[in-house]
Amino acid sequence: MDRRTFLKGSAALGLAAPQIARPALAQGAKVLRFVPQANLANFDPIWGTQYVVRNAGTLVWDMLYGVDAQLKPQRQMVESEEVSGDKLTWTFRLRPGLKWHDGEPVLAKDVVASLTRWMARDPIGLMIRGIQDDLTATDDKTVQWRLKKPFPKLLYALGKTNAPMALMMPERIAKTDPFTQITEYVGSGPMKFVRNEWVPGARAVFETFTDYKPRDEPNSWLAGGKRMLVDRVEWVIMPDPATASAALQNGEVDWWENPISDLVPLLRKNSNLNVDIADPLGNVGSFRMNHLHPPFDNPKIRQAVMTAMSQEDYMRAIVGDDDSLWKKLPGFFTPGTPLYSEAGGDNVGKGDIKLGQKLLKEAGYKGEPVVCIVAQDQGITKAQGDITADLLKQMGFNVDFVATDWGTTGTRRASKAPPSQGGWNMFHTWHAGADCINPAGYPAVRASGDKAWFGWPNIPPVETAIAEWFDAADPAAEKAAIDKVNAAACEGVVYVPTGFFLGYQAWRKNVSGIVKGPIPFTWGVSKA
Amino acid sequence: MLGYIGRRILATIPVMAVVGLFVFSLLYFAPGDPAAIIAGDQATPDDVARIRATLGLDRPFLVRFWEWSWQILHGDLGTSIFTNLPVTTMIGQRVQPTVSLMLVTLVFAIVVAVPLGVVAAWKAGSLIDRLVMGLAVMGFSVPVFVVGYVLAYVFALELGWLPVQGYTPIEQGFWPWLSNLILPAVTLGLVYIALIARVTRATMLDVLQQDYVRTARAKGLSQGPVLFIHALKNAAVPIVTVIGIGIALLIGGAVVTETVFAIPGLGRLTVDAILRRDYPVIQGVVLLFSFVYVLVNLAIDLSYTLLDPRIRY
Amino acid sequence: MTATAAPYPDSARPTGLPPAEAAPKAPPPPGLAVAAALPDVIPVRKRRGKIWTYVRRNPTIVVGGVLLLIVFLMAVLAPWLGTVDPTALAPAKRTRVPSAQYWFGTDMLGRDVYSRVVYGARVSLLVGFSVAFLASIAGLAVGLVSGMVRWLDGIVMRVVDGMMSIPPILLAVALMALTRGSVQNVIVAITIAEIPRVARLVRGVVLSLREQPYVEAAVTTGTRMPAIIWRHILPNTLAPMTVQATYICASAMITEAILSFIGAGVPPSTPSWGNIMAEGRALWQVKFYIILFPAIFLSMTVLAVNLVGDGLRDALDPRMAKDV
Repeated sequence: MDRRTFLKGSAALGLAAPQIARPALAQGAKVLRFVPQANLANFDPIWGTQYVVRNAGTLVWDMLYGVDAQLKPQRQMVESEEVSGDKLTWTFRLRPGLKWHDGEPVLAKDVVASLTRWMARDPIGLMIRGIQDDLTATDDKTVQWRLKKPFPKLLYALGKTNAPMALMMPERIAKTDPFTQITEYVGSGPMKFVRNEWVPGARAVFETFTDYKPRDEPNSWLAGGKRMLVDRVEWVIMPDPATASAALQNGEVDWWENPISDLVPLLRKNSNLNVDIADPLGNVGSFRMNHLHPPFDNPKIRQAVMTAMSQEDYMRAIVGDDDSLWKKLPGFFTPGTPLYSEAGGDNVGKGDIKLGQKLLKEAGYKGEPVVCIVAQDQGITKAQGDITADLLKQMGFNVDFVATDWGTTGTRRASKAPPSQGGWNMFHTWHAGADCINPAGYPAVRASGDKAWFGWPNIPPVETAIAEWFDAADPAAEKAAIDKVNAAACEGVVYVPTGFFLGYQAWRKNVSGIVKGPIPFTWGVSKA
Repeated sequence: MLGYIGRRILATIPVMAVVGLFVFSLLYFAPGDPAAIIAGDQATPDDVARIRATLGLDRPFLVRFWEWSWQILHGDLGTSIFTNLPVTTMIGQRVQPTVSLMLVTLVFAIVVAVPLGVVAAWKAGSLIDRLVMGLAVMGFSVPVFVVGYVLAYVFALELGWLPVQGYTPIEQGFWPWLSNLILPAVTLGLVYIALIARVTRATMLDVLQQDYVRTARAKGLSQGPVLFIHALKNAAVPIVTVIGIGIALLIGGAVVTETVFAIPGLGRLTVDAILRRDYPVIQGVVLLFSFVYVLVNLAIDLSYTLLDPRIRY
Repeated sequence: MTATAAPYPDSARPTGLPPAEAAPKAPPPPGLAVAAALPDVIPVRKRRGKIWTYVRRNPTIVVGGVLLLIVFLMAVLAPWLGTVDPTALAPAKRTRVPSAQYWFGTDMLGRDVYSRVVYGARVSLLVGFSVAFLASIAGLAVGLVSGMVRWLDGIVMRVVDGMMSIPPILLAVALMALTRGSVQNVIVAITIAEIPRVARLVRGVVLSLREQPYVEAAVTTGTRMPAIIWRHILPNTLAPMTVQATYICASAMITEAILSFIGAGVPPSTPSWGNIMAEGRALWQVKFYIILFPAIFLSMTVLAVNLVGDGLRDALDPRMAKDV
């Protein structure tokens, strides 16, 4: 082969660049570019309970009810509901004119299938399923739900923000096994998911659904009319917070869900940006001890750690120098909510190492190693892990610090084996405040031993008090029950709360309508 | 010649098989588990076990390896555990950004480094030579992400000449596409420039001593044609070799650059997949990289025949 | 043409040897007074001049060596260089700018950046040199086996090719993902990624040497394989391997930084330049000093190692300059 032939051949090869489809945008189309807290890797909000999936899910799917900013469930897809005198039968009528993104009308049988799938994965849903008699579509627009026992919190369960949310899907999609991902993303929510522009790990695109009929009421969190004031929403996933910050300053993105607090002063100085608290319900930091194996099978040792730790240290490590962003949390429920309790929390986070050392000796610590798992790739767990390692060392524990990633943490914490054989003694995590309002949808506070969350605390007084809360008939009874839960959980150390902290969100000044809440609500947001 | 190509292509098969076995085994023995990650923070141990069974992650090694190899040979790279999309689709979406980045980096590096190396060789021993070589050594001493941050700060944030991040497909215009790639290409290219400049200089030094160069000068040719036509052509083989070897380095550096500049490329895809234990994606991408590397080397070996007529297969 | 072996002409004598001996001095005839020897007018060249000439002739290796020595001393003498415990947390004093108390400022957990950088030298140097050493030894073994034992050559080279076609960073990240983060694991992961290149190099040398007449002669006369390797092959591999080892050392230090950047490196309880930068990267716009100081030290050290490598290469075999 001579040179000419070779060169001719290679020119013919060219680059077969796959088309990354981009529609021709209409003139003046408003695009909102949003930087989410994490990557949107999969998109089944019943199957995957990550916050980012849930947030995206609220755009595409709608719910029967939705909680407002006071956490009271309001009607959304439902026009009216009726509950029978004995409180055992609920009847829901759907609003007229609801359509799926493919043009089909929303029917009651879709609701029935969706509720069935949701109940298989949601903790409260499982409770309802346990007392369910019948769930049927009596006609195209009416759903009837018959229970064996009254369940006063049913509407709250249907409208709550904690994942998995009770989102409505077409019957054919909802019939997918709850433990398999759905493959079709069709809903009746205010936005359509543009599947062919989705690059997992980099970008997700949503387009306004023009046939969506918002309610008349003003929007308040998940309640009211979800009016979309932009044509397209693009989620730009940024792996590097410094890049996200630079992009926001440069106007390459419009809204950042969770800027790290150290960058906030810089963003505040920028005259084009607004910075404010993202979610008044905040977050609860935590580390969990393994109640099955020494040394933390000894409640006195657990209490020693809980007493010696300093919540200020943990909180500063997570949120930085801004004192308005964190509060001490002598308990397990979200501050600022009706059920917040400090009962029994005097011994939480005293920050007294000497006292901790004394308690540890009294408890009879024999020098067993503490295998402490710390995920390095999540800012919050990494920061907490560093503080914990220091705390334990100062107290005199024999620490085995395992630096790993969130994925491995997820596996290892599920193991009940002894720490030296692939188990663990301690791991770090955090919960959205919205998930810690009450025991419903709060598996981390349960203490039912084997059935409890990782760590498997077995503290009967906690469970009794929780049962009391579920049966409570009025707010006063609920409060009393929660106080008991709090005190018992502190006493037995279900987990150690490291504090209550808030996060910021930041957006460009030409974007308006952004509200504070547990989910970055995109309805009502407009761009100049 | 065709026989040579044929034999070389056949020889890639055992290499690819080794890569496949290695990657598969690596991940099989890895302790992290996608089932737990998928199940999410609020899941119970029962859920995790159930998800693991659904994904087929609890079957024996040989069974899984056999099934996987069979699939690959049919062109099916499997389905991602996390996104449920076919791996080929996920790779396909990210090929254009990474290839664009590599191409621009390559062109930039060659256009800058080769002349630098030639000039340094020509003026060997002088201040220019020392300066060029000094800069070259510094080029691969500074970590890639530091360079990236500095460039982004100066040129994007402060001066505002170029965007800070992102990728624009070429269908949307040449300049938008290029403007997104300039800073990343410079960042990634610095190491490459250093390498190519050094090798160019060294080879040119050797070539410039040769008789035929002296002849060309004696013939009265001016410096330009002497350097670039006669001398460089003869120095081409080692330079092209280094360019080929450097492509493996580029892929490694691309991971960091894609992260700093938020380019949705293959490097980021792989690292994310590794940290999430998304086995099918990891396997698919590593196989792809190996295949590309092998192809590139083949192309380079073939290019020797063009560059040096003495080499015949 | 005489058969006698004439002495070599002067021009062929290697330089540096003293001139050929003059005829031995006859004792002075009796009665002749011999004056005392006059002092030398031209003084003997001082030893100091020789070192200066060496420096002038080999600036790269000297500069690199001196820099490296400084960093090495810094690492060894860390506790006495005005440092505090690099792992001591003080969240109340986080992200302070450099001041008289905190020479390089504090990081996000209140740790003193200066102390972390000084102690970080230990890890980076340890990683660099360990990887260079281990990869060289392992690569030498593999290359020797592959080069000397013909029937294994094919298989081994396929495996080596396979490993080389996986980009080294990805290989290292994948290996790190198998285990937890620690200095040992980082060293092992990077070593494994670097072995193929050394193996190829050694194999190349062995293959070319195998054809040499003196090796063939040694084989014919019945010299055992280990002796052949020891006496003939190894000495010739030493030069290119040493040069390659320095480049591996430099590359390993940068790879450690990149691994930390990705999140698969040394955990922060042991400071390394890589993980100091990785932890501070989100704040580069506001608190750039957290990245700046480790970056300077890392660049300086890698530069030094590269310079030493270049100097060695030029000194040991100028022909290698072509092959990098």
